[in-house]
This record gives sequence, C-alpha cells and structure tokens, in this order.
Amino acid sequence: MGQGSFCYVKGTPVLEARELTKFYTLGKEKVRALDRVDFTARQGDFTVVNGPSGSGKSTLLNLLALIDRPSAGEVLFEGKPTSTLPERALAHLRREKIGLVFQTFNLIPVLSAAENVEYPLLLTRTPRAERRERVRAILAEVGLSDLARRRPDELSGGQRQRVAVARALVTQPRVVLADEPTANLDSATGKQIMELLQGLNREHCVTFVVVTHDPAVVPYAERVLTIRDGRIGGEERRGEPRPA
Amino acid sequence: MASLALRNLSRNRRRTLLSAGIVALGCALSLAVLGFVERSRALIQESTVQQFGNLQIADPKVLEGRAEGFASLLPPGDRARVEALARAERGVVGTTVQLSFSGLLAVRRTTAVVRAVGVVPQNGVLDYDRLVVEGRGLRPGDLGALLVGRTLAEELGLRVGDFVNLTATTVAGAFNVSPLEVVGVFRFSSAEVERAQVFVPLAFAQLLLATDGVERVVVRVDRLGRTWEVARGIEGKLSAGGLPLAVRTWDVLSPFYRGLSGFFDLLFGFLVAAVFVLVFFVILQILTLSFLERMRELGTIRALGTTQGEVFSLLVGEGLWLGVLGGGVGVLGGIALAALFNAAGIPWQPPGTVEAVALGVDLTPRVVGIPWGVSVLSTALSAVLPAYQATRVPPAEALRAV
Ligand SMILES: Nc1ncnc2c1ncn2[C@@H]1O[C@H](COP(=O)(O)OP(=O)(O)OP(=O)(O)O)[C@@H](O)[C@H]1O
Ligand SMILES: [Mg+2]
Repeated sequence: MGQGSFCYVKGTPVLEARELTKFYTLGKEKVRALDRVDFTARQGDFTVVNGPSGSGKSTLLNLLALIDRPSAGEVLFEGKPTSTLPERALAHLRREKIGLVFQTFNLIPVLSAAENVEYPLLLTRTPRAERRERVRAILAEVGLSDLARRRPDELSGGQRQRVAVARALVTQPRVVLADEPTANLDSATGKQIMELLQGLNREHCVTFVVVTHDPAVVPYAERVLTIRDGRIGGEERRGEPRPA
Repeated sequence: MASLALRNLSRNRRRTLLSAGIVALGCALSLAVLGFVERSRALIQESTVQQFGNLQIADPKVLEGRAEGFASLLPPGDRARVEALARAERGVVGTTVQLSFSGLLAVRRTTAVVRAVGVVPQNGVLDYDRLVVEGRGLRPGDLGALLVGRTLAEELGLRVGDFVNLTATTVAGAFNVSPLEVVGVFRFSSAEVERAQVFVPLAFAQLLLATDGVERVVVRVDRLGRTWEVARGIEGKLSAGGLPLAVRTWDVLSPFYRGLSGFFDLLFGFLVAAVFVLVFFVILQILTLSFLERMRELGTIRALGTTQGEVFSLLVGEGLWLGVLGGGVGVLGGIALAALFNAAGIPWQPPGTVEAVALGVDLTPRVVGIPWGVSVLSTALSAVLPAYQATRVPPAEALRAV
C-alpha cells in the first residue's frame, strides 16, 4: 500500500480529545455519556478503548470520527480544532483522512465488494485507473481478490468485515476508527479480523483506534485505555503486544 | 453516483415497479388524452379554415358585423387590386369573393327571412360542394340556382327542383325579386346557418342587388401556421396602397373556435395539473418510506464522508430516474394506446365540424413531450422534500436507526 513512509513520523498526534463531554437528553433527563475525556492517538498507534456496555465507547468514537458534535470540549485533528468547522468541511475531512469500521459492517447492499471498496475513492474524485489499482491491491491485502464481484449478502460475516476494513483503508487515511469490529463475528473470525488489523498496523503503520467490550481484542493493542461511566481510567502500555 | 441512484431502485423491485407503473400510467393516459385533444383541435382548425378561409379582407365595418346597407362594398377596381396583392403573398394558394345580404324567401304561401351568401361556384378556395347532402352544388354558369340549409328546407318543405322567390333591396334601395331553382340542400357545423342561410351564385346576387361590388375577399394559404405572416404582409400592402380595408384571420373570424380553443387549453392544463399532483403525492409517499428504511445506510455513507449535498442529489437522482424510466414506459404505452384508438376507427364528430371522422390521436412532439416532462418533473420534485429531510438527520443519529 505504500504507507510505510508514515512510520517516519511515528508519534505525531493525529487525533486528540480535550475535556470531551457529551450529554444526551432523554425527555427531561440529561444523560452524561462522556465526561471531560482527554485522549491522544499518535501516528502508528494501535489503541484499544475497553469498557462495559453503556460506558460511552460509541459516543467517544463518534466524536473522534467527527460524525457527532461534543456538548463541550474539543477534538483536534492533526492538531487543528474541529468544533467550528461546518458540516461540509467535516465530511471532507472524513472522506480524505478517516477510515471507519462498524460493528454491523454497514456495506452498501446494492454494490459489489469491489464497488463498496471503491466508493470512498469516488468521493475523493480519484482517477479511474488509480481507483481500479487501489481496490485490487487492498482486496488482495485483505484476502478477498476472488470475491470482488460478490454482493454483501453473498458473503460471510468475516468476509463482509474484511470488505469493510478494505473500504476504511483504501483512501490511506491518517487514522482508522473501529466500533466493536468483532462483536458480530464468532471468536475465530474475530481473531482473524484483529490479526488483519494488527498486520496492517505493523506493516503499513496504519493508526488504529478500536473500542470494544470484548476482552479478546485487548491483547492486540499496543495501548489499552479503560472507559467507565464516560470517564477514561487507566492507561496500560504494552511494549510488544502478543496475541493471546 | 448516478448509477448508484439507479441501482438503489433495484432494491425493492416490487415497490419500484409499482412506482414506475403509477408514473407510466399517468403519463400514458395523459398522452392519449392530449393526443386526442390535439387531433380534435387540428380537425376543428381545418374545418374552420374550410368555412372561413385562412383570412378575409373587407371594410372594417363589414368584418365587425356593423355595416349598414351596402355602403362598404368593394368596387370591381378595388376588388381586383386586393385579390392581386393577396395572391402575390408567398404561401397564398387562391382568393375568392363573397357578397351577402338579407332577403325574403317565398315558397308557395310561406315566407322566411334568410341570409343569402353570393359565392363564386367552384372557386377552388372554399369548397361548398362538400357541404351538399342532397342534389348538387353550384356550378359555373349557374344563375338562378340556390342551395338551402337542411333545417330551412325541412321547415319550408323544400325539395331539390322546387322553385322559390327571393326578394331583397337593391343597393339603391328599391325592391327586387327573382325566381330561383333549389339545386341542393346543404348541412353546416352550425344549426343556425342550416336554419337561415342560402347560397346563391355571386352573379345572381350582384344582379338582384344591382351592383358590381363585392363584400369581402377570402384568402386561402397553403399552411395554417403561415396565416398570420400572410395577414401581416397583406395589411402592410393595403395601407401602403391607401386601401382602408382590414384583415381578419380565421381564429378571430370564428367565435366558436375562439371559445373552444380556450376550453381545450383549460382541459389540457387541468389534465396535466391533475396527473402532476397525483403522481407527486403517490411518489412522495413511496419515496419517503424508501428513504426512511435506508436511514442507517444514509448514515453510513455520510460517515464515510459523503456530504449532505451529495446525499441529497443521490436521493433526488432516484426520483429523477424513476420519472425518466416510468415516463419512458408511459410514452411507449401511450403511443400503443394511441395506435389502438387510431386503428379502431370509432366514428366521432368533433364540435364545430361538418363531417364525422374516425376518432384519432395525434402524436406531435408536444403531445409526447409534455406528459413525459411532467412525469419526470413531478417525480423528481416529490423526492425533494423527503431527500432534504433525510439529509438533515445527523450521521451519528442516522447510524443508530434500525
Ligand atoms: N442517542 C442517545 N440518546 C440518549 N442516550 C444515549 C444515546 N446514545 C447513547 N446514550 C447513552 O449514553 C451512554 C453511553 O452510550 P454509548 O452508546 O456510548 O455506550 P457504549 O459503551 O458504546 O455501549 P455499547 O457497548 O452497548 O455499545 C449510555 O448510557 C447510553 O444509554
Ligand atoms: Mg457502542
């Protein structure tokens, strides 16, 4: 993928959260889903945010992915504040620099695997020949070259998530954010997906932030953060992470 | 992106077929009706021109129907000049003249007030023979010959071969009377004319009225659409030649046509509006549902960096495709329906025409283009509101939808 060069700048902050706070209003009640969270993801990091259900993981991830706006605090992308950016500018940041992987895969059902992967490149107006080549290369990387023409409903869960990973990576984003990427997969398939992400991180220096409540995901991280009741607790750094 | 919009239509085939079917039905039906109205209008135009010519030239008082006596007749010199200058216009195929007057028709012991129209028999411009239902038309060389309207003949008990006396005042104001033979009975598009009008040879009319003048010059043009151009040309020449005469085109001469044309336009407009509204609301419902069902997917593509504007165009694009395809099928269906009607040959007499014709549907560009355009427009417009609403949902919220 030619992303090796990113590792020369390993360690520069890509995504930062400052005092990030989010309230939801449910009728008259105010739910504090996120409470003054500080967070930094650096180039080349593989971060896992671990926490129980309802702890605010998705809320945090949505804010970091710039698809939701905080009640207070700030998300900095490549060092620049984002809260004052209009919706259009956020969409452009997302398409160019952020990759997203969802728990439920979220592929477009009427498009083939290859077309789903191609979609973000259409948004970035990448020339046709380059699109073809990039889609081919990334599908090979995730091991789906033979299934490129299949529709999502003709693929297994693990295969669908591979397509989703390929879609998130095809634009060579600065950071890939994943919300419970293994939750809808059996444990063996989940393991394969995590190995795929880990390989991409190690070989191509892709920056990952994965939120999960699945303890099996934790061993793949270089860095594990714990979230509880909307607050980030301790940080654990692992020098050389080893899969369980 | 355009192809994604098209592919989105393949999601729920039944619903897409239903929507396209509704658009197609509206399009096909309005096409057939518009084509029928268009054909009727063309027939009525043709019939009107056959009765009045494309345009007439006379003293303004004559054309406005407020001439008194015979003060406004054209003397032979003027008549010749007017006919010559009209014939010199490009597109003019011929001219003829008329001289009409009121008279008293006496047969046996009954009398009737009639309007007599003196015409040049077989003039090649206005075809009176076509109107004759009994007997024969007027021929060159006829003098004391008369065509009577169908109702008038019935009321007076007149038969072909009967003799009548026609009394009128001469130009100088004296009474004059002459016998004539009924050579034919004619029908007409208007009951009033059938009850009160007779045709006589121009030569007879001039003899009875003791004049060599005529009342009006009738001009026939090769194409209907050229009428107004010719009228302007003649008007220019008349005023340049110092002739104080006016020109009236067929659409103004026939009050019946004027009323009918307005009615047709209203019908046309009403039909188009009705189809538009119907298609708009049905498709609005269907698309609203279709977009709501896909809320999570719309959230996904927003999360991937698709802007609100791009999502909006995608969704409106679906409506547009639906209209283009549904309308296309509708046009084909409408053309098939038209062919069916045209082949069936159902007899029908449009109002204001003399003969019954086969019921027909004209397929002009307008007849095909308007229903198709309206289908596309109404379908695309019906996508606008639900598409706008769908793009207002923040991506994080849209992603939570099930
Ligand atoms: N749209 C919303 N409206 C109201 N409350 C919400 C909304 N979204 C989340 N919450 C609440 O905010 C808190 C954090 O939710 P969040 O979805 O971030 O948790 P999570 O850690 O992702 O949970 P899970 O593991 O179940 O996905 C929860 O108490 C949840 O009920
Ligand atoms: Mg969650």
